[in-house]
Amino acid sequence: MPPTLKHPNYPNSPITLFKTKHQASWKSKLSSLAALAALIVIPALLQSTPQAYLIRSAGLVGLYVLLALGLNFTLGYAGLFDLGYIAFYAIGAYTAAKLAILGWSFPVVVAASIAAALIVRLWVGVAILRLRGDYLAIVTMGFGEITRLVLNNWDSFTNGPKGLPRVGETIMPIRIFGFSLISNLHYYYLILIFIVAAVIISKRLENSRLGRAWVAIREDEMAAQLTGIPVANLKLAAFMISAVFAAVAGSLFAYWERFVTPESFVFWESILIVAMIVTGGMGSVHGVILGAILLGGAPQILQIALGGSEWINYRYFFFGLVLVLTVLFRPQGLFPEKRRHATLKING
Amino acid sequence: MIQRIKLHLLVLAALIISACSQKPKSIRIAVAMPLTGDMGTEGQGVKRAVMLAIEEANASGEFSLPLEARALDDRADPKEAVSVANMIASDPSVIAVIGHYNSGCSIPASQVYARANIPMISPASTNPKLTSQQEEPSWTLPKCIFRVVPTDDVQGSFAAEFVRGKLKFNQVAVIHDKSPYGQGLAEQFHDSFIKNGGQVISFDGIAIGERDFRALLTRIKGAKPEGVYFGGLYMEASLIIKQARELGLKAPFFSGDGSKTDELIKVAGGAVEGSYFSITGIPVEHLPSAKPFLEKYNQKYPGSSVKPFDHFGYEATQIILTALKQTGADRAKLTEAIRSMRHEGVLGVTEFDQKGDTKNKIITMTQVKNGEFVIVN
Amino acid sequence: MSPIVQPATRNGAPGASGAANSASGRNPQLLMFLEQLFNALVLGSIYSLIALGYTLVYGILMMINFAHSEVLMAGAFVGLGVSILITPHLSGWLAMALILLASMAGAGFLGFIIERLAYRPLRRAARLAPLISAIGVSIMITNAVFLWVSKTTLPFPKLMNDRVMRLGFFEASSLQILIFCTAIILLTCLEWLVRRTMIGKAIRACADDLGAASLMGINTDRMIAITFVIGGMLAGAAGVLNGMYYGSIKYNLGFLPGVKAFAAAVLGGIGNITGAVLGGFILGFLEVMAAGYLPNGNQWKDVFAFMVLIGVLLLRPSGILGERIAEKV
Repeated sequence: MPPTLKHPNYPNSPITLFKTKHQASWKSKLSSLAALAALIVIPALLQSTPQAYLIRSAGLVGLYVLLALGLNFTLGYAGLFDLGYIAFYAIGAYTAAKLAILGWSFPVVVAASIAAALIVRLWVGVAILRLRGDYLAIVTMGFGEITRLVLNNWDSFTNGPKGLPRVGETIMPIRIFGFSLISNLHYYYLILIFIVAAVIISKRLENSRLGRAWVAIREDEMAAQLTGIPVANLKLAAFMISAVFAAVAGSLFAYWERFVTPESFVFWESILIVAMIVTGGMGSVHGVILGAILLGGAPQILQIALGGSEWINYRYFFFGLVLVLTVLFRPQGLFPEKRRHATLKING
Repeated sequence: MIQRIKLHLLVLAALIISACSQKPKSIRIAVAMPLTGDMGTEGQGVKRAVMLAIEEANASGEFSLPLEARALDDRADPKEAVSVANMIASDPSVIAVIGHYNSGCSIPASQVYARANIPMISPASTNPKLTSQQEEPSWTLPKCIFRVVPTDDVQGSFAAEFVRGKLKFNQVAVIHDKSPYGQGLAEQFHDSFIKNGGQVISFDGIAIGERDFRALLTRIKGAKPEGVYFGGLYMEASLIIKQARELGLKAPFFSGDGSKTDELIKVAGGAVEGSYFSITGIPVEHLPSAKPFLEKYNQKYPGSSVKPFDHFGYEATQIILTALKQTGADRAKLTEAIRSMRHEGVLGVTEFDQKGDTKNKIITMTQVKNGEFVIVN
Repeated sequence: MSPIVQPATRNGAPGASGAANSASGRNPQLLMFLEQLFNALVLGSIYSLIALGYTLVYGILMMINFAHSEVLMAGAFVGLGVSILITPHLSGWLAMALILLASMAGAGFLGFIIERLAYRPLRRAARLAPLISAIGVSIMITNAVFLWVSKTTLPFPKLMNDRVMRLGFFEASSLQILIFCTAIILLTCLEWLVRRTMIGKAIRACADDLGAASLMGINTDRMIAITFVIGGMLAGAAGVLNGMYYGSIKYNLGFLPGVKAFAAAVLGGIGNITGAVLGGFILGFLEVMAAGYLPNGNQWKDVFAFMVLIGVLLLRPSGILGERIAEKV
């Protein structure tokens, strides 16, 4: 029996404060497996049809899912408003591109880009995490822009706006057991593997002491501090885990595109990822995935639906509309977090 | 609810699989351009030019199947460009691509086209890597990437020789817009100007979309250059010229074909008088073969002036159409036909070299006199 | 002093240092500094006007108005529309005043619409929800102008005869002086409105404590709407000044100054009106000085400005004039 409390305005409606245990029914598990099976089988069937481009779109949405799950630690769990997340995606992608050109192997490259992103994130995090709310937002935004501008202006290292690799260089494809990953399908599966890992990590952390501590910090930092939660350290931990996800997504992006330029890492992308988390449901793994699929997929679906006709010009107008309508109709997110969900059910 | 969503996913999957492919009833040429977002203006211009060419071809009755332009939007975003490329590559009725606008989009997308062996002609991307990547040993795909726009090296050095040799300027200031196009042009100008014994007293980058250049120009004014060279597009060019004149910086202004538009004269007004613009080929206004293009364009799209890369888009379409007449709708044969083609059109004579770059490297210098571009060399 | 001009390498321009000219009599370095200072003042005054819109809304709702930059853009387009209508009949000061008023009215109305559409329905929603709806609205406004007004750059009339004026011993264009003065007048009007009128008092009460203000009988919903309108009006004026100053407008002109003005508002201490003005001028000053004096400064000026911003916030976590109280996240 979970503890209950009387709401001052609605004394007759019990409020569930939190659920003590995450119950996954066998039905839910089965449907998860079925969905995963579908995600594995369908693209393989699509491969040689005229709809093969959907694999690419799905992979791209997959990268957004990874990024959104990553930022969810910072924004969704710990409640830190990060508007410069794309910087770490960029750092991951550029590190991977640089090293892949040198011919380093995939696991080493990924490890190196994670390390690079972590070092920068640690340095930034230690400095700025004592800022609160929107001041944190503007500082992270500033850092995101600085990163993009450095990539664009540091011609000798990043080749500036012309991007990497330079003329005469190539990013070598990923080789696993002598087999090169080239096609969209390969990358789709690779991204899917990382997403499954990311979901498992997110779920485990969400229901751990760490996850509960983060939520406590998000809901009331002062109270969390008073209950003995090491607020500063845990904030930094959430901040760092996010960077790992961004770096992995960044290196997958660099390998897949085999070309990186600063124009992929603009401020708009940071906003988009924040929007995915908010429209999906802050702190809810299912919600965030759904948000990323909706907002990452909407431009692609609109492209498919409107492409070839004059309506293509309306694409981003409709995208704005999708954004507004989603938030207006589901202000708590498509799939609000369980804990938040509980406090919402005031009238039983 | 999770279950329901997962169920939807399954249904969606079933739908996608059952969606059968229909037989092509038309021949499609894809136009992959930024049609929305910050570069939307430029992309829309090229799209209009391509539409015009295709409409003419349909009216001529020389093609058995109706031609259709399939316009897709890459929003100047590299990853969207690759998605668009995938859509194009998996559409069997598309025989060729005109695109993309930004080099940052063209290069990753080109690999997708090459894998499907669809000929791709870029009307605007000037980064040398776009075509030279096909010469690299690791390139195992068909060589089907072309461009009708010359790379920056030709134009930049031509302008430098003009400023140094003909106008005998010793000191110039160089500005560029930090885009692959603008920076490439400016670097080439810089190197060539110094090689010819001149001095470049400053070399500065600005950002596309930026509007205030007064601080930079005040500094340049203080350095007293004899001329100012700008590598970039007309939007920033017009603002730079205007602000320079307002600040009392009167040195002549030079730029490339990305700046030479009617918008520039409209926005900068009298300030642009006497400025020089190098352009590739012969200016459209002066080319007899281009007159009909301009007339038709202005007639079909009253109120939208020709943008810098529109005639390249038109020419790219004409090249594809000519090749199509020779070979029929086959991607691989089309690539071969384009490679060996000698095409006379709005840009003069276009032929492609081994890499796929145009051999048409005629550059003309124009100057604005009484609000019009006049040839001066 | 003789002109020393060194051949520049690509990455380091001597620029200002080699720019001595003995002919002009006075110290040319000082002259140039004064000109740069004036450039900074004009840029800063435009930033200030925009930053005020962010800060007013933030002060009352504790929320960033992400659609504010599009109000700026829309204001510029309204100004252009009105100027096309009236320039055949009117010119000079009267025309300028009319255009300014019309675009302020238009932009104020847009601010009102944005509040109704993106903020009011979400008053009790998750904290960041209005942010997302505002982003959605801002995308829609940009694309609506792109689709239905103009896909390309439009020239903006000068409205006034522009000439280079000698102010004492340095040169400035009359346009710059006009813009600076207009901005100062508007800032003064706002200061008067907020400090000396009942509406201002009510807005300040709402900013202090929305709940308490509501208990005191203030119609808080109306006050929030009025705040959006005032912010929109200032952005509309900034849009016209922006258009006049640069001579052209385009559908995407709002984004960059919007981001920078937002930074300026935070730098000054978001929610604080004087802070926003101060932040606007500081940011203008930083950018101009970086572009004017640092080697290769123009392409690094935003990096420089953001680093100063971050530095200031680390030393004073609530901005220069912000209140030093721990606010709830």
